Amino acid sequence: MRTQTKTTLLFLLPFLIVLSLFGGFVYFSFLNYSHNDFFRLLEIRAITAGKIELDNNPTANIKEIKELRDQFFEKLPQEKDYFFPLEEVEKFHDESETLGLPISFFENVIKNGKSDFKKNNVFYKGIIYNSTKGKYIIVASAENYYELHHSAYLKRTLFISIIAAFIISALISLYFSKYIFKPLRKITERVNQISSENLHLRLDAGSKNDELNDLAVTFNTMLDRIETSFETQNNFISNASHELRTPLTAIIGEADVILSKSRSQEEYEEAIKIMLVEAEKLESKTRALLFLAQTGFNGKIQKFDKIRLDQLLMDVKETLEKINQKNKICLDMSLLPENPNMIKVNGNEQLLHLAFSNIINNGCKYSDNQPVSVALGASNNSVFVVIKDTGIGIPESELKFIYDPFFRASNTKSYEGFGIGLPLTRNIIRMHLGEIEVKSIQNQGTTVQINIPMYKF
Amino acid sequence: MKKTILLQTDFTIESLNVLKTALAQSNHDDNFDIILLHGVHLSDSIRDLLFFSKQKIINQLVSEEFEQACFVIKNKYASKINSIRKDIFTGFTQSAFNSYTDANQIDAIYLPANFQWNFNKQKSFDLIPFMNKSKLPIQQIGWQTATNIPEKGKVAELFFNGVPSHS
Repeated sequence: MRTQTKTTLLFLLPFLIVLSLFGGFVYFSFLNYSHNDFFRLLEIRAITAGKIELDNNPTANIKEIKELRDQFFEKLPQEKDYFFPLEEVEKFHDESETLGLPISFFENVIKNGKSDFKKNNVFYKGIIYNSTKGKYIIVASAENYYELHHSAYLKRTLFISIIAAFIISALISLYFSKYIFKPLRKITERVNQISSENLHLRLDAGSKNDELNDLAVTFNTMLDRIETSFETQNNFISNASHELRTPLTAIIGEADVILSKSRSQEEYEEAIKIMLVEAEKLESKTRALLFLAQTGFNGKIQKFDKIRLDQLLMDVKETLEKINQKNKICLDMSLLPENPNMIKVNGNEQLLHLAFSNIINNGCKYSDNQPVSVALGASNNSVFVVIKDTGIGIPESELKFIYDPFFRASNTKSYEGFGIGLPLTRNIIRMHLGEIEVKSIQNQGTTVQINIPMYKF
Repeated sequence: MKKTILLQTDFTIESLNVLKTALAQSNHDDNFDIILLHGVHLSDSIRDLLFFSKQKIINQLVSEEFEQACFVIKNKYASKINSIRKDIFTGFTQSAFNSYTDANQIDAIYLPANFQWNFNKQKSFDLIPFMNKSKLPIQQIGWQTATNIPEKGKVAELFFNGVPSHS
């Protein structure tokens, strides 16, 4: 079932229930009221009849009362009065049989002084009347005119009005559900149009601040991300093939030249050395690429352990100083928390080692071996590592591209590198649910702030 | 020794240098209750005063970074710090300030020697005149201000600020 129909029904069903309850209540309370009213009417009739028929009071003007009754009392359909002297008959078997009334009716009259009974629209009211001739039971009966006509009319009116209200509300709810789901249908149509060829298309998000607008905006941001990653992917492939081809071309060219004619031993050696250097470059590039691919979100499970970040940073410092004697790395532990448990994170040691050595090595490289400070601290739920160098920095306009694979800032031409380190590091930090923030001022230095959630026991 | 110290703050990371230095220079057995105080003009609107909440005002002023930086300091000097509290002062008079310091049993005030406070003039005001006039001992703390650093406003600013921190 479509949501639109569902909403319509959901809207209508409670409405219908409420409406019928309302109608039923009105009908039955009216009926009850009209019954009570009619019984009261019969009681008055019975008393009047008693006065006329039984009281032979010469002082009372019976003729006048009779006239009054005939003049003002409307004749009820099948109106009848019965009189039974109370002393003479103790049991009312015969009477109840002739009138078709249950014996309990008479018993109630004797006990309570009055009683009501209703049989097939004929209403009976019995009372005890103290006349001059003695005690009598007077039974007045008549057909209920109101019951017959008014209630039927009321029933019809209520039924018709309920149906009318139902139809009107059905139309309104249909219109509303259509109105509500119109933007949704529009979004669906629009999203269906978007494929990999026209990823630049966006949904129209109005300026209104409602849920459907939020949905459109969410779709748009998702499309933004998809488009960016799509482009990055495309760029990555072209860049990677270009990067890999450069050393390969060099090797092939060198080999071609050297094989064109016979050469001396030295020349061969030199050519092979060049080829070796190029092949090594190729090798390091492919290895970096492999790492980048491995650390991307590919669903592979890496082994995570409890790691103390200060030890890890010391390891990184040692390794980097071994690689290049000129590297100067100052570990600044002045804000190290007193509780050593606060610098433990849940992570993979190789990957974190790689990430930190990338950042610190960048710092050393781009600051021409000036000292690089590495500081460690902890807040209540994350561990902060701050790496600060006083190197060439990154131009502000290029800061947003630094995580693109193979991107290199415009001021790094004289430095070696191929732009895989930072994206790789970011992948690793993201895998550890951390954040990396790079702030830089050109020609002054760069500060990298990394925070990783603390290991919780 | 248990001490309650008062510092003015403008909720920038750099202003925390006073605290960092004060803690670094303190004795081993000191135990501090720290109050970071900020002078705030109260609104004149009755509606604002009706729904006045100190915590709400503080939350508006304090950034996530500042909060984190406070935690970093607190973890570093975990055994010296009993509590760090951020508070606002809304009085106008010297006697209001004096009763504030009395009520909070302040033992000393720490002030930066040369620091450009970064106040929003519309909402906040400088408490230093009040502090200077109060009878409490005042410690001046200086450090090299680097105005143009890449990590301005980040937690990282706390780590390298030329403040020597021993102990």
